[in-house]
Amino acid sequence: MAIEYKKSLAVFSDFVGVEEAENLLEWLLKNPKGKINLAECGHIHAANLQVLMAVKPQIVAGSKDENLQLWLGML
Amino acid sequence: MNSLLEQFLSEARDFLQSISEKLMQLESNPNSVPLMTELFRFVHTLKGNSGLFDFPEMTRVLHASEDLMDAVRNGRVNYSNTLADQLLEAMDFVGMMMDEIQVEGKIIKNYSATAAEVAKSLRGLLDSADAVNVPVAIEIYTEEGLAAKAISWAELPELNLPESIAMALYRCVMDGDTVFWLQYTPEPECFFKGEDPFFLARQVPDTLWRNVISTNDASSLAEMDVYRSQLIFQFLTTAPTEELDDLFRYVPDQIHRIKIPALAFVKPNGSVNNQTVDDEFISSALVLLEENNLAGLTRTLLTMLELSAPDLWSSSVLRWVLQCIEVEPDNERMQYALLNALRTQITPDWSSMTPTIKPHEVAIEPVAVRSVITPTIPVISSGLPDELLQIFHTVVNTQREILSLPGKWSAGRLQSVAATLLGCYRTINHVYEIETEAALQLALTEKSPLPLLALLEAALLDVAVVNTPESEIIESLGGRENANRGSEDVVSVGRRSEDAAGASQSKTLKVDQEKIDRLMNLIGEMVVAKNALPYLANRAETVFGVRELAREIKSQYAVINRVAEEMQDTIMQVRMMPMSFIFQRFPRMVRDISRKLGKEVELVLEGENTEADKNIVEALSDPLIHIVRNSLDHGLELQDVRVAAGKNAVGKLIIRATQESDRVLIEIIDDGNGIDPTVIKNKAYEKGLIDEATLERISDQDAVNLVFAAGFSTASVVSDLSGRGVGMDVVRSAVERVNGTVGIESIAGKGTRIYLSLPLSMAVTNVMIIQSNEQIFGVPMDLVVETVRVPRSQVRMIKRKQTTVLRGRIVPLLSLNDLLANDVAQLPNEDDEFATLIVRIHGEHVGILVDNFRETVDIILKPMTGILGGLPGYSGAALLGDGSVLMVLNPRELI
Repeated sequence: MAIEYKKSLAVFSDFVGVEEAENLLEWLLKNPKGKINLAECGHIHAANLQVLMAVKPQIVAGSKDENLQLWLGML
Repeated sequence: MNSLLEQFLSEARDFLQSISEKLMQLESNPNSVPLMTELFRFVHTLKGNSGLFDFPEMTRVLHASEDLMDAVRNGRVNYSNTLADQLLEAMDFVGMMMDEIQVEGKIIKNYSATAAEVAKSLRGLLDSADAVNVPVAIEIYTEEGLAAKAISWAELPELNLPESIAMALYRCVMDGDTVFWLQYTPEPECFFKGEDPFFLARQVPDTLWRNVISTNDASSLAEMDVYRSQLIFQFLTTAPTEELDDLFRYVPDQIHRIKIPALAFVKPNGSVNNQTVDDEFISSALVLLEENNLAGLTRTLLTMLELSAPDLWSSSVLRWVLQCIEVEPDNERMQYALLNALRTQITPDWSSMTPTIKPHEVAIEPVAVRSVITPTIPVISSGLPDELLQIFHTVVNTQREILSLPGKWSAGRLQSVAATLLGCYRTINHVYEIETEAALQLALTEKSPLPLLALLEAALLDVAVVNTPESEIIESLGGRENANRGSEDVVSVGRRSEDAAGASQSKTLKVDQEKIDRLMNLIGEMVVAKNALPYLANRAETVFGVRELAREIKSQYAVINRVAEEMQDTIMQVRMMPMSFIFQRFPRMVRDISRKLGKEVELVLEGENTEADKNIVEALSDPLIHIVRNSLDHGLELQDVRVAAGKNAVGKLIIRATQESDRVLIEIIDDGNGIDPTVIKNKAYEKGLIDEATLERISDQDAVNLVFAAGFSTASVVSDLSGRGVGMDVVRSAVERVNGTVGIESIAGKGTRIYLSLPLSMAVTNVMIIQSNEQIFGVPMDLVVETVRVPRSQVRMIKRKQTTVLRGRIVPLLSLNDLLANDVAQLPNEDDEFATLIVRIHGEHVGILVDNFRETVDIILKPMTGILGGLPGYSGAALLGDGSVLMVLNPRELI
């Protein structure tokens, strides 16, 4: 799993594909205070990106991938 | 190359062929809806297939073609020759790319520019047609309009950059870099195409600033459709255009690119408060600037900067001035404007410094624009769209307000109002020209706006009245549109189900030719193996003395023989191809050549379904092209010449294929100027091809046949002789290679008929086995006229050559042993008669002396390969039933 859902934290790792988007949105809707950890994430599919943009969850750790962080830093 | 690609290529070629065929047919029948629909389907399928592979250029061109065909199909664009030309050209381009893929496995050259050009010219047709049909819509939306219009300052994207980045960008532009503002709007359905726009966005090189916007319009998060892209990516990049083009080559229409001028970045930001920089400082700074004391100015500014809080708007301005002094010390206007801004607290209006910016290179979202136009078309053509009416009302109301204004009315003012109103009325197709003109005159004389106002009110009422039913029309149109859309859906669904049905019912199999060839070889071996059985039966009887067994073997042989022959027949059938395979390219070729030559030619193809072996059909293609080209170029005359000669103005070229027993006859008949035998005779004599005696007695027919003589097709002859005979010897040798013959008949001034006769199949050859010098050889039966036994006493020597008289004709006799360079005399039989094989070579009878005749057999002739392949005297070898090899002679070459 590219996203590991913990109690109130979703840990993204490696490449998060398009198929994760729906689950992610569901999880975020169920856990309105859910936080995101992107540290080990290399890329997220645009579908996930727009979920994050729409829900605007708190991001507790930015990605170690500099280029990705440049983009996600704005969230 | 993977098998999918191979299949795509082979199918795509068929499609291209069908497309050009359909285009040809449309040319003669431009209004045929079924043809158009079919054509659209071909292009549509081809486009879809090409999308499976990484050939964006190909897909783009096909996409444009598809759009165009769709427009034609729906009657939005009329079919025209220009359109056909464009489409054909596009298909040629696609074909060219396919050739490259075939050879290299991928597209190597960079065709993106060409592809864009081709696609653009196709779309150009679409747009020009749109312009004709919907003039109103086009005024508002044209793609060209946007492309051609210079981007004004106001149209630049709003840039809210952090100061440091803005300054870096400003410096980049000043250093000569080109900074593009790039907006990438992925289409909503892109996720379903396997695209990841974010990934693509991350690939943009040299990005100095990036942003992503969500256009999420769902009212609640739960309603959000995560699989519809709602993102817009924005960049500022210094990457070269080509790199960007390459990166976004799949989605060029989703990119909006604008070149940003340096000044656009100069935008101070920060908090504005009342505490402005005092006027005294500004004045002193301006004085320093006027004195061009930049060092002093810098010092003053730095001091001021130290005194004020860094996050103030004014501090930002100060930093910008410093930056400007550093980068552009000569740009006093800019420095002045910035300093002045300290006073006004408004960012300087840079547009006055750079009036316009050059048009950007990529038009804004043509696709989106078109989707706006399309649904409005039917509405515009019969009624008025709501938006337009709204605009109309706004404009008219404004004019009414203007007219109601009190005050003195000058003539110019009245005229301008009248002109505006007239324009409005024209837009909505209400012509009030006369009335407006009259009202204007009245208003001018009265110097009062009242007549115009009255007219305006009346007209407005009129429009409203007319428009009430029209709004209904619009509604009903909308309804019908929906209905149409519904039926379209039905159609497309129907089509899909048709496709599916077609696929399941399709009885056609595409098989690699190699497999068929292998099958062919196997059946050949089978025939050989089968032929061994009679030998076995023979041996059983003679050697082992078991007659019973011999008989059983023979009866079994009969069964195997029957099955094997049927099998052989069937495999032959598989290899058979209809002549249409080569005929189908002629319409296009004839069209192109005749256009180039300015001749009008009607091409008649007959017997396209005549079948022949694949090898034969393929071998025919080059000679046929040659002949047809000759006929067009030199045979058929120009229109006025034809009319002067009392012929139909349109030349006629018939290509006909017919089957005659086991041969295919192909005729190419034109009603052109024919071949003048006298000219040919003289030319041949000049060339030394015939001697004087021949010149005197040669018949006209023989003279015409001289065009086949090798060496007749030299350049000078071509030009002098109107070219008939160009490479005709090449044609003949090509046809003869597949055991065919070629002939020509021509009547000067009336036309020419060239006919090719070819065997249906070259797989099985009927040969006669002959014996000479204790060896056996095969001679193809189609050359053999007869076999005779010539008594030694009948052989006469003429000029040291053996001849005999046969049925009143002198027949030269050649000994096979001599021909094969065996120094042995031919053996006569007991009655001292020579076994003589009379063969026909180039219409002449020649006797070949052999030792003895044997039976005739059907063999599978295998051409010789390797070193033996260079032996011209043999046409090949075959295996006999007893396992021995039979060499088959080629008497044409031998003699």
